[in-house]
Amino acid sequence: MRDRIEDLALAGPGILLLALAFVLPITEMLRLSIVGADGGLTVEHFARFLTDSYYLGIVWRTIYLSVLITMICAVIGFPLAYVMARVRPGLRLWLIVLIILPLMTSVVVRTFGWMVLLGRGGLVPFTFWKLGFVGRNFTLMHTEAAIVIGMVQVLLPFTTLSILGVVMKIDRRLEEASRTMGASFFATLRTVILPLAMPGILAGSLLAFTLSVSSFVTPSLLGGVRLPVVAASIYDAATKTLEWNFAAAQSVILLVGVLLALTPYIKLSGRRHG
Amino acid sequence: MVKGVPNALRLLTWLLVTLTLIFVLAPLIVVAGVSVSESQFIAFPPTGFSLRWFAAIFESNAYVHALTTSLKLAVLVTVTATIIGAGAAIALHRRRLPGTGLLAGLFLSPLILPSIIFAIGLLMLWSATVGPVSFWALWIGHMVIALPYVIRTTLAVLADSDPFLEEAARTMGASRWQRILYVVLPQCVPGLAAGAFFAFNISFDEAVVALFLRTPDLVTLPIQIYNQLEFSPDPTVAAVSTLMMGLTVFLIAIIDRLLGIQRFVGT
Repeated sequence: MRDRIEDLALAGPGILLLALAFVLPITEMLRLSIVGADGGLTVEHFARFLTDSYYLGIVWRTIYLSVLITMICAVIGFPLAYVMARVRPGLRLWLIVLIILPLMTSVVVRTFGWMVLLGRGGLVPFTFWKLGFVGRNFTLMHTEAAIVIGMVQVLLPFTTLSILGVVMKIDRRLEEASRTMGASFFATLRTVILPLAMPGILAGSLLAFTLSVSSFVTPSLLGGVRLPVVAASIYDAATKTLEWNFAAAQSVILLVGVLLALTPYIKLSGRRHG
Repeated sequence: MVKGVPNALRLLTWLLVTLTLIFVLAPLIVVAGVSVSESQFIAFPPTGFSLRWFAAIFESNAYVHALTTSLKLAVLVTVTATIIGAGAAIALHRRRLPGTGLLAGLFLSPLILPSIIFAIGLLMLWSATVGPVSFWALWIGHMVIALPYVIRTTLAVLADSDPFLEEAARTMGASRWQRILYVVLPQCVPGLAAGAFFAFNISFDEAVVALFLRTPDLVTLPIQIYNQLEFSPDPTVAAVSTLMMGLTVFLIAIIDRLLGIQRFVGT
């Protein structure tokens, strides 16, 4: 009993902090989303969002861009993680550092880098112009392509490290057995490694998807005001037009979407640790 | 590398890895390049070499103010999140509290729940109960985000610790607080230190909670950069960004020394 009191005292400040500053804010957001102008309960904010084709267009853009971004991350992340798992430890450490460095750099800084690279006169449009593909004033800024490029760079480290954690645990002897029995490298990759790595690929992708649908800084700077995503719409309602109940309702919709993607993620990662 | 892989494939693989690394590092390299350019326009590749944009940071009131705010905030968040996280991690590691699994889930949930959802909730709750947002709202918000990192690094260290040390201290008559202070906490130190550096990095780089809670007087460095990017970026933005990247490199090196960066694979 006294052991429990001691542990409760240790964890107490943290529990208090999360209860007051994490659980309560989210509860407040849920409450505001169903409160009308007269103080009564209402679903008008949800109805407004879900019946307006402008907002539905934003939702659609957020979802299909996120699916595309997530898929690109998985397709690049898997071979990268596999190579990282199979090189010698010294080299692996360097590769991990090179992947973690951008991960730990502020999103604002990384987005700025892309603005320089993709903007008018930037290295990428300039190269395209020199190759004769595009006109001189071509810019990639404020296009969906810019959002995808920027977001893949932001999320690829997450996906790669997530897959790497699983690939590292695959028994090397399974691979060797498959090769000894005559399977080619690709056959082994397809029938042995890929199925074993699948939980990691799925978990990493689900996490990347939730981060992608809720990201704000990169899509709004690279996509501009004419290509808003859900997070930008929430930000505008909360800080520009000051429609808090409407902002709360949009956040609830985002939260529901995120939780739908997170439920299988928690199952997958729980099985991995268990 | 795996044996018996065709050479052409090997070459292709390394080409892919190199291209991916270039892609991932490109924005960082570009920002660093622009920051040392002589030109007063943002251009890459840079023309000439000059450090005048770094000097310009310290001549700008807005940047100095933002830098001071960010440093104060990050230091405060680091200290408090580390202390709170230490207690929470020790309690979670012991697994004596009922519902430890659920509690661990609660403590780590800010890690996977998108911060925009939490940020807007905090803005609404703070405005409804306390009033206009202030430095303290941002402090609390960053603490919530940083806490899971401290807890995870500390739990990782505790998982490798010897449970019998505390048992030994108990049989030799050490009181509860003596056992925590002299036996458990010293074992946590590498994890706590790594967690503290993570906490600092997160608070210093964070841009979503800081954006929702910004006021004209409450602008952190990432938000100052964001404001500039929305309107009129000049090479000073690149210089500030380069300083922030330098700090990140430094923090990664320290975390690697303390705990080994490989531990963070598979999150």
